[in-house]
Amino acid sequence: MNIDYTIEAPVVEGRLTLGDIERLVAAPMESKPDKKFYIALSISGTFLLIGAVLLAMSFYKGVGLWGNNQPVGWGFPIVNFVFWVGIGHAGTLISAILFLLRQKWRTGIARFAEAMTIFAVMCAGVFPIIHTGRPWLAGYLMPYPNQHGLWVNFTSPLVWDVFAVSTYFTVSLVFWYIGLIPDFAVMRDRTTAKIRKTIYSIFSLGWRNSHRNWQHYEKAYMLLAGFATPLVLSVHTIVSFDFAVSIVPGWHTTIFPPYFVAGAIFSGFAMVVTVLIFVRKIFDLEKIITLNHLEKMTKVILATGLMVGYAYGMEFFIAWYSGVQVEQFVFINRAFGPYAWAYWIMVSCNVIIPQLFWIKKIRRSIPAMLVIVILVNVGMWFERFVITVTSLHRDFLPSSWGYYTPTIYDIGILLGSFGLFFTLVILFTKALPVVSISEIKAVAEGAQPNHGGAH
Amino acid sequence: MANRVLEYQKKDLPQNMSKLGWALFAIGALAGVAAFYVDNTRAAYNYLIAYMFIMSVGVGSLFLIALEYVAGADWSVPFRRLMEFFAALVPLMFILIIPLLFNLNELFPWMNKKLVEGDAILTGKAPYLNSTFFIIRVFGILLLWTLFFYLFTRNSMNQDSTKDQKFTKRNIIISAIFIPVFAITLTMSSVDWMMSLEPHWFSTIFGVYYFSGTMLAALATLTLAVIFLNEKGYFGKLLIPDHLYSLGALQFVFINFWGYIAFSQYLLIWYADLPEETVWFLHRWSGSWAFVSIFLIIVHFVVPYSILLSQPAKMDAKRLKIASIWILFAHILDLYWLIMPNMNEGKSGGAVFGWIEIAFPVALVGLILVVFNIRARNKNIIPVGDPKIERGLNFRL
Repeated sequence: MNIDYTIEAPVVEGRLTLGDIERLVAAPMESKPDKKFYIALSISGTFLLIGAVLLAMSFYKGVGLWGNNQPVGWGFPIVNFVFWVGIGHAGTLISAILFLLRQKWRTGIARFAEAMTIFAVMCAGVFPIIHTGRPWLAGYLMPYPNQHGLWVNFTSPLVWDVFAVSTYFTVSLVFWYIGLIPDFAVMRDRTTAKIRKTIYSIFSLGWRNSHRNWQHYEKAYMLLAGFATPLVLSVHTIVSFDFAVSIVPGWHTTIFPPYFVAGAIFSGFAMVVTVLIFVRKIFDLEKIITLNHLEKMTKVILATGLMVGYAYGMEFFIAWYSGVQVEQFVFINRAFGPYAWAYWIMVSCNVIIPQLFWIKKIRRSIPAMLVIVILVNVGMWFERFVITVTSLHRDFLPSSWGYYTPTIYDIGILLGSFGLFFTLVILFTKALPVVSISEIKAVAEGAQPNHGGAH
Repeated sequence: MANRVLEYQKKDLPQNMSKLGWALFAIGALAGVAAFYVDNTRAAYNYLIAYMFIMSVGVGSLFLIALEYVAGADWSVPFRRLMEFFAALVPLMFILIIPLLFNLNELFPWMNKKLVEGDAILTGKAPYLNSTFFIIRVFGILLLWTLFFYLFTRNSMNQDSTKDQKFTKRNIIISAIFIPVFAITLTMSSVDWMMSLEPHWFSTIFGVYYFSGTMLAALATLTLAVIFLNEKGYFGKLLIPDHLYSLGALQFVFINFWGYIAFSQYLLIWYADLPEETVWFLHRWSGSWAFVSIFLIIVHFVVPYSILLSQPAKMDAKRLKIASIWILFAHILDLYWLIMPNMNEGKSGGAVFGWIEIAFPVALVGLILVVFNIRARNKNIIPVGDPKIERGLNFRL
């Protein structure tokens, strides 16, 4: 295929009118849920229930039901936590960072990605709290003077996590809501049902589409994007500190912060692509979330995949170069020890398979893309597993070496988190506009002032 | 439309720029030669700083070119030719490396066979850190970079006359190949030339750290060239604050990136407090080096961050010029902080600063000006045949 580089590809395809855009995006909310919706919801709901039941049993009998034990005290809960926080990062990258870098193509996918951020952070938040074993005491993670004389350990990155993730969640939620206000107004103006109109009216905060409204909106949106950007980077940086500040070989290495952030974006984009492939098909949004959007995302996946591969390579090289024997042992053990299977799943899914995205045909083929992004998700989950488990299971004392095996409870709760995530995603598609109507209108063809030529 | 682009064809750069370049280069080079007679070791270390700076600008520009193609950017198309001029420093490094080759023993402790034999760690590293492999790596990398420089510029120049879009497509493919190659070779260069100065020390983030500085140096030189040529009317009247904003925003991004990487490296090493890692920072904290370290944080992060934070600052040529000059100075300081403390390895602690430390940067600035002028002679200053040139000139935020 030959591309003409003199013209810029349109962000929205098919010359949609502004009315068409409104109708397309509002359609899922204005129609009754069909059978497919209920089937999808019941599947994800089942997973959610499985997770809830197993979690309830864990509370009833105690977390001894899980596989966590000496020497691997950090098993599935931490792996899942890091995995879900990572998934969330793509949303903020798309909605905030690409906004600051003025990437117009982000408009079609930003709303959805941002929603996924919020849901993913919710899933992530569950795990450290249940991992404490006594989640009803989680309130003490907040430093406030109390009669028990309890005070948090400020030198622990786990406490930094509490602040970073909760701040991140709050700012993401506000940012998401600010972006939704003009769309709430659109929905308010479209709907005739009384209750819905009242709800939309409340959430649209009296939006009148006036110049003053837009001016304030743009300013607030820009500022929040500016806040969200350092926050998103800090969150996964601090998650990497959870590991890297310790002196556990395999955890303590200086490349961890940027490597974790790149990995987070990598896995997050893979998840966004996974879900969007279905959403654009089911809700007829193929002209708004175009194949070009998906192709751009696969390029980001390829780039971040290469960064992750660079980090794997660098870790290995420096482990050898450092001359530190324990460091060398951990890495050889990772690749050839009892967890070699996990390591090679990670390497093939994260580094080898995404290389297929060098080929344009694969970048533009939806089935191929779907397979690869799902494998990337698998690979990134295994990356956290490899980092956590392989570094712990053979520590400095050979007498205390062990092999970590997750129990049915661990796996069930992980499935439950997927259930929670997809239940929220499915409900979201029916309750709110999955694409920002106002932003798409701004990038539709004919919406931009014409600068060319006459001046 | 085409006529508007034709206005840019083949204008000669102002004479005094070339003269200034030669003058600075001559003064700096003479002083540099003198420095090698006065204090060979110290001159060698300073020369290495200058060499790494040239590497930053040269290969950094090459990377920016590749990034433009791969990302499909249009705003930077009018400046791409300037990056190509700066990238011409890469082949020149074959000559610039010669004084270093004569001083490798002065610089790298691991070149000393006796020292390596008595040291188990260095013996362990010998398969990588040995003079033969070092020379192979260094020249292999220079060859690779030169090859990519040649391919990029040849395609870009051919496009000027033919206006054929196939050259853009070719360069996109070359860029995609270049970027991973760049990541590996730049990391190797940073390990070889800088990390191995202190051969016991190691840090996985070191390559990324040098990369952040590389980007800043390349962006700042580009910005200065753009603003200077625009003031003299070489871009007609078509460059607008939106173009400058993009340059300023990228500088701001990499200022933050540098701060982030530097902080990550420091925090993790400080927190774990393992002697084999902290030694490197301790050398940069002994005696007056502590002041240089603090100064570096202010110069390389606090000040440029404050200058570039606001939106008007990124659009204002004057402030952007100050920021760019400042960043170039900061990069030299950064390299000084990375390289010089190894000269005495904590023996007689304390930073050294004198005329030798000034001579090499002066020669360096002169050399960049001269190379830029020679490359620009009889060439179009903007890529007139690029299919994206109109989009680039009409760029609006």
